[in-house]
Formats: sequence, structure tokens, C-alpha cells
Amino acid sequence: MSPVNFIKDQMRIRCRDGVLTERLVQAPAAFGLGRVPKSFKPDATVDSVCGYCATGCSLKVHLKDGAAVNLSANTGYPVNLGMACPKGWEALAPLSASDRATSPMLRGADGKLAPVSWHDAMDAFTGRFKSIQAEHGPASVAFLGTGQIVTEELAFLGALAKFGMGVVHGDGNTRQCMATAVVAYKQSFGFDSPPYTYQDFEESDVLVFVGANPCIAHPIMWQRVMRNQRNPEIVVVDPRKTETAMAATRHLPLAPKSDLALFYGLANRVIELGLIDQAFIDAHTKDFDAFKAFLADYNLNHAAEVSGLDYDELDALARLIGSGKRVSFWWTMGVNQSYEGVRLAQSMINLALMTGNIGKPGTGANSITGQCNAMGSRLFSNTTNLLGGRVFESTSDRAAVAEITGIPVERIPSESSYAYDQIIDAIERGEIKGLWLVATNTAHSWINQKRFRHIREKLDFLVVQDMYHTTESTEIADLILPAAGWGEKDGVFINSERRIGRTRKVRKAPGQALSDFNIFRLIAHHWGCADLFAEWSSPAAVFQILKRLSAGQPFDITGIEDYDHLDREGGIQWPLLASPESQVGRESEVGKHRRLFEDGRFYHADGKARFMFEAPRAMPEAPDADFPFLLLTGRGTSSQWHTQTRTGKSDVLRKLYPKDAYVEINPLDASRLGICPDGQVNVVSRRGAVQAKAVLLASVPPGQLFMPMHYASTNYLTADAFDPYSRQPSYKACAVALSISKS
Amino acid sequence: MRDAASANHQPLPIINSSLTVEDSPIEILLKEQGTLQTPVSVFSAQHADADADADAEPAQAQFYKQLIPLSKPGAGEQYAFKVDLDRCTGCKGCVSACHSLNGLDENETWRDVGTIHGGLAGASYTQTVTTACHHCADPACLNGCPVLAYEKDPETGIVRHLDDQCIGCQYCSLKCPYDVPKYSKSLGIVRKCDMCHSRLAEGEAPACVQACPTEAISITIVNTDSVATIARAGGSFLPSAPDPEYTAPTTQYVTKREVPSNVEAGDRYALRPEHAHFPLVLMLVLTQLSVGLYAYALISTDAAVTHYSRLAALLAMGIGLAASTSHLGRPLGAWRAFLGLRRSWLSREIVIFGAFSAIAAAYTAVGFFDQVPVGLELLLGAGTVGSGLLGVFCSVMIYHDTQRPFWNFPVSYGKFLGTTFGLALAAYLAVLSLVSNEAVPMVGLIALLVFFGLKLGLEVSQLTAATQSDMTPAKKSALLMLESLKAITASRHGFGLVGLLCFAAVLFGAESVWLPVVGFVFLLIGELLERVLFFKAVAAPKMPGAFTS
Repeated sequence: MSPVNFIKDQMRIRCRDGVLTERLVQAPAAFGLGRVPKSFKPDATVDSVCGYCATGCSLKVHLKDGAAVNLSANTGYPVNLGMACPKGWEALAPLSASDRATSPMLRGADGKLAPVSWHDAMDAFTGRFKSIQAEHGPASVAFLGTGQIVTEELAFLGALAKFGMGVVHGDGNTRQCMATAVVAYKQSFGFDSPPYTYQDFEESDVLVFVGANPCIAHPIMWQRVMRNQRNPEIVVVDPRKTETAMAATRHLPLAPKSDLALFYGLANRVIELGLIDQAFIDAHTKDFDAFKAFLADYNLNHAAEVSGLDYDELDALARLIGSGKRVSFWWTMGVNQSYEGVRLAQSMINLALMTGNIGKPGTGANSITGQCNAMGSRLFSNTTNLLGGRVFESTSDRAAVAEITGIPVERIPSESSYAYDQIIDAIERGEIKGLWLVATNTAHSWINQKRFRHIREKLDFLVVQDMYHTTESTEIADLILPAAGWGEKDGVFINSERRIGRTRKVRKAPGQALSDFNIFRLIAHHWGCADLFAEWSSPAAVFQILKRLSAGQPFDITGIEDYDHLDREGGIQWPLLASPESQVGRESEVGKHRRLFEDGRFYHADGKARFMFEAPRAMPEAPDADFPFLLLTGRGTSSQWHTQTRTGKSDVLRKLYPKDAYVEINPLDASRLGICPDGQVNVVSRRGAVQAKAVLLASVPPGQLFMPMHYASTNYLTADAFDPYSRQPSYKACAVALSISKS
Repeated sequence: MRDAASANHQPLPIINSSLTVEDSPIEILLKEQGTLQTPVSVFSAQHADADADADAEPAQAQFYKQLIPLSKPGAGEQYAFKVDLDRCTGCKGCVSACHSLNGLDENETWRDVGTIHGGLAGASYTQTVTTACHHCADPACLNGCPVLAYEKDPETGIVRHLDDQCIGCQYCSLKCPYDVPKYSKSLGIVRKCDMCHSRLAEGEAPACVQACPTEAISITIVNTDSVATIARAGGSFLPSAPDPEYTAPTTQYVTKREVPSNVEAGDRYALRPEHAHFPLVLMLVLTQLSVGLYAYALISTDAAVTHYSRLAALLAMGIGLAASTSHLGRPLGAWRAFLGLRRSWLSREIVIFGAFSAIAAAYTAVGFFDQVPVGLELLLGAGTVGSGLLGVFCSVMIYHDTQRPFWNFPVSYGKFLGTTFGLALAAYLAVLSLVSNEAVPMVGLIALLVFFGLKLGLEVSQLTAATQSDMTPAKKSALLMLESLKAITASRHGFGLVGLLCFAAVLFGAESVWLPVVGFVFLLIGELLERVLFFKAVAAPKMPGAFTS
């Protein structure tokens, strides 16, 4: 602006326009977007599945010259129908954070991390790991992966480590979130197979949410519940009166860890009332009689007694479950993260089976998954399962994988991997000396953190591959490998309803950061095993390998052509066979929402589902005189994700959650202990002591406390108890003491 | 079909010694990572004829059409947000969507989601509350703006902020009881929700309405006058939100749930010091000092003392007014401040202090000329003091008019008059001590001690609210002063008391001419600290927020 114009501009008495007004002017954007800020008007858009949770929403990324400038929720995608949670809306912000890892960093002789070239980083990686393996055997190096990277990368990581580097033990952070559902489904249905489609939220008459708070943990799934036009009964089983419990028609605030007895009591009552679907049981299940006999010890009175709930209320619920209406069960971490989570999940599967509530619209025993690619990890991570839901111990499975991938069969380990907790234990025993973390933050998220920090000292070499150099884990690493994040790479995620969706590169990675896929390629070269992975040249090429690995498996996706096919159809649920008959009806709206077991055939060899059950056990660490409170943990707000390495990088998201750790306390307990609202308190368990701010809420029952998992201090309190079948940590309950903090 | 994404991937060369740097695997991978696939060659991006489908209905319209009115508001009507609390479950998607679809600055948000909770164990109640600008029937922001940078759109009732008209005085953010207008330091102006007026004008829903997964937010049409009437008649707005009587907010919160009587905001106990507004601290203390000093100059019988007092007063006024302009984000537009005279106390203050500065300058200049008639000098003096006192009154009203209890009329007036006559008396006595041969008059010293005794007593009385059982705004202010601001509070009283001791020493016979000067400096610092507390310890009303730590 010229000085004259500037003065003229300043001399206007009424300024209805000008440079400041211009900043917020909107313009029609085309691409079906409606009006958008003129300054961010895109010249193209592209759809990409979000990289946070397993809902798998599609985001429409607004591009200028190929690079993302903004995004909005994708209206046309069958998952989210134009909606997104705040994390999705803010998905681009964490990419621009100032603490992105932009160069490999190696801990030098002075004990400090310093930037090094990729070449030196690769020398350190291969040199240190190979020398550890030479001294202690190939199994002395292990890896811990994630459910946060694309399927092609997960498969590459597992294949590279196990087939290329000779690693035996590898697991992922999905152990912390989905392992229980996996085992429950495997045992009951014969395969890890969440049976539902999100459409079931809209088509159900009775939705029973157990240990789940979708209102804030999966808001876009809750959107589907709210779209239900059948005037449904919404039952929430949760000790706390969560946001979801507030929105429900019935809330059952059961005593913590009385859940298994509760569901056995309900099953007993359903049978007693004769409300079972005997025809379905006879035709499609096994072991019902044994289950019925087992239930004799668990009547509804017993359930009412241990859960502290009213008998009549439970009786009404039993009648509702057996009413013949469409009943669906939905569970999340309140079930999975339990020392008897597998049996608990199966107690709901049992109820669904005995009332015929499976394979029909609005029904099912349905696990809501945690991470964006938990399911991809379950199928292809090559950790405790051999690639594609196979078994390492099986000669024929190893041969099949060798055949499909061209990897020499002798390179495929014949033993399964340790689970996450067993890897940690093996480090403590000195059996594992080298550890490689990929896109996970063990030094924040793992249970009983003090013990983990102590065990870390026993590692000779710790490599952490991450987007940021400031996570709790990178800070204690010996080598940091800088990784590209969501939005900086291509591949597919598989969501909770088995939908495979594409995520895309819309930004350049900063500095020298590389996609995890390319880091694996680089490692393969430097390790000297690149020839094994000649076909693994791009995510798209690996996708074709994954298709071949799926052939004949329950999740057969040989009918999916390529990435473009996924784009055209708005994601595709597994299975999709290449055979022409499996394409029938797929053009219709219904074809976009497919559920499993419509034919009543399950994946066990005899086609029948199993009733799985076991006597409930006492919780591992019940409150006592010294530690009189039971600490529950879980999601804090919808704007927080896990260990906050990404959500903590968005100004908008940071405004939407409390900055520091806090603990929710019932006002009665608080007044008894003289704790004031917003006062500082000490929370102490047998494993650690932390400070937190007190939030007094009647939604937390007396005797219980709740702390969100997003603050690093929480896991200094949690106890390392595990489900014996799934090895999933029991994050949800440990005994603590509470007192006013003097400082 | 050839998969497009593989086009950029090439096989890595097997490492051997004959490779050049450019051929090394690392360089190839970095190059690949640094390449964005261009839309034309690779993406199945929707590239489209932007022009062709620019006029087409937005895809999202199928979901939001029913959430906005079919027709425009009629006469006496306006658009209003309607929030179905039973459908709001706290996902906060509205906050982010508003941010992204309006292209706001990185740390700028126009919506917020808070909570209210209550009840008892077993029958607890928690409600998330989405909130933005309430487009009030009687908008306090608009009423307070000195340059008419707010407009209530005559057709839609949307309270719009004219960004280029704004001078960044931030008075609207003090006036709004809902904490809506937010100041951007980089832009030098405030901005706020405009209900996506340009979207509504085109039949599109506001960003928050488009983005709420549970359709909790919609746009409705209300009768503006009845909103105001109901608010004035004690109608309910939202439990634990500020009283709607002040501005008559139009947002309609509806619920079928029974709200328990003990419901409170999630951030009820949050103690957040507000901005100190240092330029305003200087401006208030120094203009008041100036006005008072002119008053003492006027009644002084010693010509030299009068002259130097006027000079000191002029200096204080100059620094004070200069400081006040530095408070503005866009001071070049400050000349428009007369526009708001009809409604804004800030506008009045600016105009009156403008007049005061001119008259006071003339009155001060008199001291340099011998032939000025006594009548004229008296007139100028009276004009100076009169306009100055009127200006101080406006200053009080600026803060009183925000309806914040900590700033209510008697207390603010007490503080400001205390500075005007107490601090100025100290300054006057210091000048007198320096330029006059006579002893510092005892009556002046006693008056000074009385003024400050009363003023400090008034301030201490505000601290006693800390013992109230209920978390009132007064208690919040007291707790702030006693806890996070306790260093300032202690210093304020420390400087005040030391200053008074200096003058008490003079009263009891100490003979140093510098003692009153030192005493004045201590009192001045004490007053500046008092004014810092004035701003930082005020309990600002806002919509119920979430718990913060």
C-alpha cells in the first residue's frame, strides 16, 4: 500500500473492508465443500483416512499445488458422513510441530543425543544390533511396534525384523488395546473377526455399552448411535457416570470388576426365563450345555450382590436382552484392559450367541477398536501371528508364507513371539539386550512405569523411531530414527468394522525424516538383506503382497484391485473375494455395510461358535486399609490421544483439555479427607506416588478415583497385572491412597 | 491398471563402492520423501472444474439443511444459536471445525466446550456445554466499543465485528460477560464469532452446525425484543452461566433432563490471573495523579509550588496518555474514538481526557507568562480540574460498566479518588518540600495519612472475602491476591506503608527535604502495584468452562 493510500485508509471513518476483513473472507470452494476461507481455497482435494483412532473417518484434504493447506470431514464416506472429532479436524497441525525429529540422533560418548547422518545412524543400527545378536543370539534383539502406521509398513516391519534380521520376539502397542478382543474372538468364533458394521449402531433396538465411553473416545461412532431412528434402549455398564452414561437410557454403575459375574448372572436369568434362541444355539454353537451347567453357580441374585446393582433393574435388562429385539453389545478398554478381559468379552459373546443376536442387522458382540490400524496390526504385523493370521509353529503356514512372499522358508522363525510384557520381562532377565520401538511411546504408556524405566537400564541399545525427538521414549533412546507421520506417506488402515481405507501423502516430511516404509527399506539395505525384499518397493507393491497373503483366509481381500478401488468404493470391508459371486449386491447402499456370520457359519472347522467361560477371579489388587481407593484410568477428553505426542502439538486441541494431571474424586470422599476443589493431592500406589489436581465429581462413585491415561504420571501408579490369555495389561484398576498435598 | 503411487518408487541400488552420492539409497529415499505427487499425474484427486461445480449444493447440505431456518428473520427477529444439551456429548468437533472452516489463527478459537456438573453420587449430573458468541439482544461489546467496530446486523441480528474498524482497545473483551471477543496480538485487533454470516447468507450452515456429529447445534429465529424482555424479567439462560439480564444473550439452551440445584461450572474453582494491562496501569495512576496535582496547584498559594506542581502534573499526564495509546493494537485509528460517545464510557473517557490534556497544557503554560489575567488562569485551572475529575469519573465508569463485582462503582471510585487526591497530595508535598522554604504543612500531612489509611483499608477489606464460604467473584479476587498474586499484594502494601512512614516521619519532625520525595516515590510504586492487582485479580465472568489444571 502506498503511503497516500495508507493515510487515506486510516482516515476513513467507517472501515467495513480492508486487509483485516479480507483475512476471514470466504469463497465457494467447489469439490462439494461449500464456502471455505479464501486464503485456503484448494485447487484440488483428496480423501485420506484419519490416523488417530480405529473409527477410520475419511478426511477430505484440501490441496494447493499438491500440498495440504486445510482439511474437512468427508461427507461421502460411509464411516463418518461428513463428521470428524477435533483430533481429525486438527490432523495437519502436529505435522508442523517444532519438535519434529528432522535428523537421526545418536547418543554419544558424552551421554547426549546429537544429530548424525542417516549413514552413521544405519551403521549404528546394524553394527550395534548385529554385535548384540552375535554375542547373545538372534533373539536378543526385539521390537515393539504399533497400531499407528499403515498396514504395508506393519507387514514390512514384521517381515524385515523376523525374516531379514533374525529377530524372534516382536510385539506391538495393540497388545495394550486390542489383544483381549483378538483372543476372545479367536476362541469363540475361530478367528479374530469383529462381526459388525457401523450401520448396526443405527439398526439396533438395544445397545449395551460395556466399559466404553464412545461419546468422547469414539464420537463419530456415537454420531451413528444418535442417528438410530428405532428409539433404542441405550444401556451403559460402567462404574462412572460417563458422558455416554449421561446420554444413555439406562446406566448400570456396577462395582468395578464385578462385570464377569454380572454378565454370567444375566445369562443365567435369560436361560431361566426361557428367552434363549434354542434353534440358533443348536445349529450354530457348541458347548451350550456345559455353559448352562456352569451358570448354575451364578444366578442373578449373586450378580446383584457383587455388582451392587438392583436386582429388578438387572432382571429388566435380562428380559430386554432376551426380548427378541435387535440387541448389540459394544465394548472398549473397560473390558479389554482387564485381568479377565478375554472371559469378560466372551461373556457378552455368549449372550449374543444364546439369544441369536449375531449375523443380523443391529446385533452382535462387538469390540470397538482403539488405534487407526489396530486391525491391520492384528492381521499383518508378523509378531505373535505369522503374516496374515497364520501360526509360526505350523510347518504348512510357514511354507505358505514362503511361497507367497518368496522369502526362504528357513528364514521364517518356527516359534511365536513373546508378548509385550514377556519382552519386558526378558529384558529384565538379560535375555533381550537390544530393543527397537516404532511409533509407540513405551516410556509413557507401559504399565508400572517405574519398573520399566529401571528395566530400560539393562538394554545395551535402544532405538526409537518416531515423528518427534521429545517423546518420553526418544528421550531415553540411544538412537532416534526420524519418521514421517500421518499425511506424509501412503498406505492403508483397517478400521474397527474391518474397513480397509487409504491414507495418503499430502505433505513433505521435514528435514531428513523418512516414512517408516522407507526407513525399513534403508535398514534392509544396510543390514544386507535387501534382496529378500526386492518386491517390497512401495506401499502399493506391498499391498499386492498382502492381498496374496489373505487368499483363502477369513479376511480374504483378493477382490480388492488396488488403492484406486478403495477410493472408488469409500473403503472396503474384509472379506472381499475375487470370485464373481462375492461381488453380488455390492453396488447397493447395503453393500457398503457388511456384517459377518449372516449365514451362521463361524470360523472353527465345524462352523460352530464356542461358549467360553471360566469362574470369575478376585481383582489382583483390591483396595485395603493402606490403599483404600480403587484407581480407574481411561480417556480424558476427545481432544487427547494416548500419550499426547501428537495432540499436544495442536494449539486448538491443547485448549480443549487440562494441561496437567488431575484426579476425579467423589465429593464425599473429598470432604472426608478435607480435599478442596482444584486442590493438589497425592495419589500413591505400591509402585509410585504422583501429584495431581483434585476434581470433585459425583460421577465417580465413592471409594473410586479416575485419572486420564494421557498424563505421564498415571502409569507410575498402575499395576502390572495381565489377562492370562491375551497378555493385555489390566490398566483399569489398582489400589491407591489419597491425601492432600502440602506443597 | 498401473498403480499410480508406485511411479515414484524406484528400486534401491544395492550398496557397493562404485555408487556416487546421488545414487546412494539415502539420497534416493530423501528425494522420494521430498516429492509430492502432483495432482495431474498421480492423484485421483477430485480436480474438477472448480467453476462448474462451484454453484452446486455443498455435499454436507443434505445433513444440515434441516438445522437452519428456511427463511430469513422477519422484522424484530434475528438468528440465534440453539443448543440441544441432550445431544451435546462433549466431542468438541464444533471448536475445531469452526477453527478450520473459518481459517482462524493457529491459537484462535471462537467456540469452546465447557461442563456443568452436580447432583449426588448415584444421581450425578454432568453436562457438556458448547458455547460461542450469543449474538445478544443488547450486546455489551457493541455498547462499549469506542469506535463503533461492532454492528448488530439489522436483518439477521448477528453481532458482527468490523475488523478494520477495530483499534484493538480490548474494551469489548472486558465488557462481554461471556469471554467472547479474543484479542490477537499479531493482528492488533479482537475477532469473534460472526455466526458464519456469509455462509448463512448463501443458505449454508455455520461451521459448528455443519460439523456437530450429533446435530446438537442449530440456527433458529427468535424475537429479539422478547429475548431481552425475558432476560430482564429474570428468565433463565443456562445454569451457572452469567446472568442474562446484562446483555440478553439469544442462544437457546434446551434440555429435557432435570438439572440439579447444586450444578456448578467445571472451572468454577479455577483461579486465573487476568492480563495486567501495564499501559492502562500507568495511564490510570498517572492521569489521576495529574488531575489531583492540578487541583492542589490550583489551591496552592505559593506561586513556585503551583508552577512546579503544574509541570509535574503535565509530565504525569503526558506519560499516562502516551502509555494509554501504546495499549491500543492499532493506535492510528484512535482518532475515531469519538464515534462511540453515545454509549461507550471508554469513548467518553478518551474525549474528555483529550480535552483535559489541552486545557491542562494551557493552564500549565500560564506559569511561563507574566501577563496572564488572574481570571483566565483561574478559569483554565477550574477547567483543568473539572475536566480531569470528569475524566476520572469516566475511568471509574469504564470498569464499573463491565459489571464485574471487583470493579463496582464504590470500590473503583474509592481507589481512583484515593489516587487522585492521596497520591497527588504526596506529590504536591514533595514539590513543596523541594521548592518552598516553608515547612511542609501539618494539615497536608495529616490529610495524606487519612487518605491513604482509608484507601489501604478499602483494599484490605477486599481481601477479607477470602473467608466467604461460597466461591463468589469477590472470593476469587481475594484468593488470587492472597495466593498466586501474593507477592504483588505484599509489595503493594509494603511500598504504601513505607511511603506513609516517610511522611509520618516528617510529621513527627524529621527535617530532610528529600523525605517527602522518597515517600512519594514509594507511594507511587505502591499505587502502580495496586492498579496491577486491579487488573490481574478481577474475577472475569465467562460461560461455564471445563476443568483446567
